[in-house]
Amino acid sequence: MIASIFRSVLRQTRRHPLYVGLNIFGLALGIGVFLTLTLLVRYEYSFNAGFTDADRLARMDERWSMPGTTPYESADVSFRAVPFFKQDFPEIEEVVTFTKTNLYVQKNGQFTHFAGQTTDPAFFRMLSLRFLHGNPATALTRPDGLVLSQRTAMTLFGKYDVLGKIVEINRSGQKTIQVVTGILAAPPSPGLLDDVDMLLPVTPQERLTRSCFRFWGSSCGEILLKFRRPEDIASVNARLFDFVNTRAAGPADDDVSLGPAPTKTYTLSIVPILKMHFHDVNVEDTDNSVEQYVIDSIGLIGLLALILGCANAVNLATARAGLRAREVALRKTLGAPRHVLFGQFMGEAMVVSLVAGLCGLAFCEAFTPAIASITGEAIRVDYGFIGLLLPLVIISSGLASGVYPALVLSGYQPAAILAATRMPAGGRRAALLRNGLVVGQFSIAICIVICTLVIDRQTSFMRNADRGYVRSGLLIGQQMHSQDIGLQRRMMDTLRAIPGVTSVTLGELEPNPHSLTRTTFLHEGSKGRIKVQMLRDRVSSDYRDTYQPHLLAGRWFDAEHGQDDGPSNEEFENGNGNWNVIINSKAARAFGFEKADDAVGKILRTDAKHFTIIGVIEDIRFSSPRESISPEILFFSSLQRIAFDNPVPAVRFSGVTRMLMAERLDRAWRTLLPDVASHFAPADELMETYYSGDERRGNLFTLGAVAALLIACLGLYGLAAFAAARRVHEIGIRKTLGATAGQTLVLLLQDFLKPVFVACFMACPVSWLLMRQWLNGFDERIALSPALFLLAIGGAALIATCTVLGQTLHLARAEPARALRAE
Amino acid sequence: MLIQLSHIQRLYRSDEVETTALQDIELGIGHGEFVAIMGPSGCGKSTLLNILGTIDRPTAGSYRFGGEELTHLKEAALAKFRRENLGYIFQSFNLIDELTIEENIELALIYRTIPKSERRSRVAHAMDRVGIAHRARHYPSQLSGGQQQRAAIARAIVGQPRLILADEPTGNLDTENGTQVMDILQTLNDEGATIIMVTHSPSHADLAKRRVDMLDGQIVISVRNAI
Ligand SMILES: Nc1ncnc2c1ncn2[C@@H]1O[C@H](COP(=O)(O)OP(=O)(O)OP(=O)(O)O)[C@@H](O)[C@H]1O
Ligand SMILES: [Mg+2]
Repeated sequence: MIASIFRSVLRQTRRHPLYVGLNIFGLALGIGVFLTLTLLVRYEYSFNAGFTDADRLARMDERWSMPGTTPYESADVSFRAVPFFKQDFPEIEEVVTFTKTNLYVQKNGQFTHFAGQTTDPAFFRMLSLRFLHGNPATALTRPDGLVLSQRTAMTLFGKYDVLGKIVEINRSGQKTIQVVTGILAAPPSPGLLDDVDMLLPVTPQERLTRSCFRFWGSSCGEILLKFRRPEDIASVNARLFDFVNTRAAGPADDDVSLGPAPTKTYTLSIVPILKMHFHDVNVEDTDNSVEQYVIDSIGLIGLLALILGCANAVNLATARAGLRAREVALRKTLGAPRHVLFGQFMGEAMVVSLVAGLCGLAFCEAFTPAIASITGEAIRVDYGFIGLLLPLVIISSGLASGVYPALVLSGYQPAAILAATRMPAGGRRAALLRNGLVVGQFSIAICIVICTLVIDRQTSFMRNADRGYVRSGLLIGQQMHSQDIGLQRRMMDTLRAIPGVTSVTLGELEPNPHSLTRTTFLHEGSKGRIKVQMLRDRVSSDYRDTYQPHLLAGRWFDAEHGQDDGPSNEEFENGNGNWNVIINSKAARAFGFEKADDAVGKILRTDAKHFTIIGVIEDIRFSSPRESISPEILFFSSLQRIAFDNPVPAVRFSGVTRMLMAERLDRAWRTLLPDVASHFAPADELMETYYSGDERRGNLFTLGAVAALLIACLGLYGLAAFAAARRVHEIGIRKTLGATAGQTLVLLLQDFLKPVFVACFMACPVSWLLMRQWLNGFDERIALSPALFLLAIGGAALIATCTVLGQTLHLARAEPARALRAE
Repeated sequence: MLIQLSHIQRLYRSDEVETTALQDIELGIGHGEFVAIMGPSGCGKSTLLNILGTIDRPTAGSYRFGGEELTHLKEAALAKFRRENLGYIFQSFNLIDELTIEENIELALIYRTIPKSERRSRVAHAMDRVGIAHRARHYPSQLSGGQQQRAAIARAIVGQPRLILADEPTGNLDTENGTQVMDILQTLNDEGATIIMVTHSPSHADLAKRRVDMLDGQIVISVRNAI
């Protein structure tokens, strides 16, 4: 039986290489895409899953809902609560802080950047991390301890066994000597420890002085928790509201607490680490997150590709069944029972599926590195997993693609077949099925194509959208870690003196800001008291020439106006007085001003301080395009009296290449701050992380769209080939009766393309709904214009036409006499 | 003369073999003639009929129809010629399986600009003539061989062609059905249509006005039957 099945498949391949080839190729492509995307989806779902007791680990997030702003969740939180957790919740087994820090190692004047985390000694025990060298229990108990990742050990020393070596660490100018106390083995799964190069202990001094350890309102890093039982997470989560109300409450004028009713603006919430990767999309201060539905859609595309491949197989097999009708009829006449024939045809489908599965695996091997580099994810072909998945895929696609054709074939009535002059097409039902499958295939393919177009448009729209300032010719430096007005002045002067620099400014916010400070301001106007929490920035004289924001109303700051200058941080915290400020248009709207001009001259107040709005600027986007723009207030410092708080210099230049300019700026920076690494970069580079994720996923969709279209076209091609073979005779008759080649061509194209057009109309509403949902996740987004849909439809129709055109032309041009002979 | 063939040659080249299906055919056929072509299998009868029907082109020679040279015409012009002048009856019926009998017959008209209602009435009339009106909505596979042949004849005559070509119209039929078909052809001829028919049956050939015998791609004899 087995041998006869293989023989039969071989004979089929020899006799109809086109059909069998298309069948196998389509299915193999479907299987290849399915396997690859499944690997990707599995990878995305595996974040943090490999850590021991992952279901008991979690992170504590803060949720802020300040007046006038959209509530947001932040992973960087205050550490003020840390000591209370274990006291108040016996379910919590362990608590550690986990704070990102930028570390540099200086060698021969060159800075090498390392991503560092400061944490507590319990960290390694909590995550049950394995060390290559060193003792996880004691590695961070000494304040000068240092744990390196494998990769970092290799970068610094060229080997793994480097216990006891000394490393001089430079944290933005502040230098410490650390001793290597541990080398971390590769983490068990992607997630928490991705891109962590070095781990250091929190120093006792930091614990005492750093504001996030002291004040509820200040934040710097993450809190990781381990619970005794997985179900404790929910129960503790439910009690956090009361926890905040008891622990964070205090008198209104107290800096440490959050006032008498803290939960009005502030709550805590627990995120299990297993959910972090998807959850973090909506959390601030996180990276490496992705929308779950995007990953699910990618998985769906993989599954659809497999279904398309199977549909193809069914389609071609039922079409081809006609060619074998006589064989079946003869076998039946000779006494073969139906179930034996059914088994034979099922077996053949299985063999085809097996071959396709093996080719699919080869495709998967070829696609995976490409997908890995497109997505930037470390996916590889995991044979343990593929070994389980592939046989399932082969069997199910064999069944899916074999049952119907086998039923059709084994069900032929011999008398009817042998009596007929031509090969049967399987009747009107089979024709309906074939067209239905083509409609389904193209609906899916067109749907994916439309989504791809929309994603592509949206990503390029975001990249090119006006961000409220002029990005070209602008370079932005590092944060200065300085409150020293003299140094800040010298920095300005040094940078300004560089040839090619046209203007220099300092600001406390930059593209992808290093820290955000928000304060609530109040306006009493015609619409009553309106409170708005605003993001604070402070800018220096040439800000307008450097960033070139668009002034919508009023005037810009002027060093000549005494009231423009200020307030200092000191004055802002404690003093009272009157100052002039500029706000962004979002703030103007939040305060209820209909037009920007209405805001000019109006007063904003916080405590006893009064601020006169002298100008309104267009919103400046320094944050992710997914986040909505914050209302913003700009203070001014002419650098005569008031120092900036950790300012970031920015430079506008002309007449010099960007590379050369950056090099000159970095060199100048080193003369003033030799211990702080300098990297002047364009705004786009700083904001790259906001855009690249969507772009990479857009590329995945493009791949999916190409695969889906390709498979669908294979199917269409096969069907057209089959129909062409079947209709040679009919076309001969039509032409004998006087039809011209042109008329015949139109007739055939109409028949071939009808399912494609039906598919277009089915795909549009589905993709419209999907994409409206996706676009809603962006603050600024494109309109879903019909042009995109028409483009996709036009493209699909064109591709489909090209697919069938060759055969159609051939058929339409055939000499009638020859066509009529062909039986 | 309605048809004038001179020096018609038809070669088939396939790989190495070259078959001469027709060689130096000289044949003139006048208006209203009824010609029977006879000859052994493979002597080139169908090939000759195909060339007369312009669905095949001669390798050499000239084919004039009503004084007009056809061999140089483009494909589209030939298609126009066929739909305006020809009715074709095939040996193997050549009805389209997916269309009903009615639609099959209508096929001969839809490539012309004839209003739908007129097409309908002409189709109905043609079906009446051959006696298959009661099978209008059936598919070819639901009809007997004789009925299919009559449907094929209806399709050939519905366009009221000047020339009817019939390739063994009675070949697949029993005596009674064969006689019926011959009756129809004779009636059509009496009404003025020119008919060229290939047949293996001497008795049917005798019903024609003229008989042409072929052998190995050549015409050996052409005799006029006594009426
Ligand atoms: N397409 C072709 N390619 C090669 N040879 C052909 C082709 N068509 C016909 N022939 C040859 O031309 C010759 C004449 O064929 P034709 O079909 O005209 O014969 P016929 O007289 O109609 O025979 P029958 O009475 O069996 O129908 C035959 O020898 C045949 O093999
Ligand atoms: Mg013949």
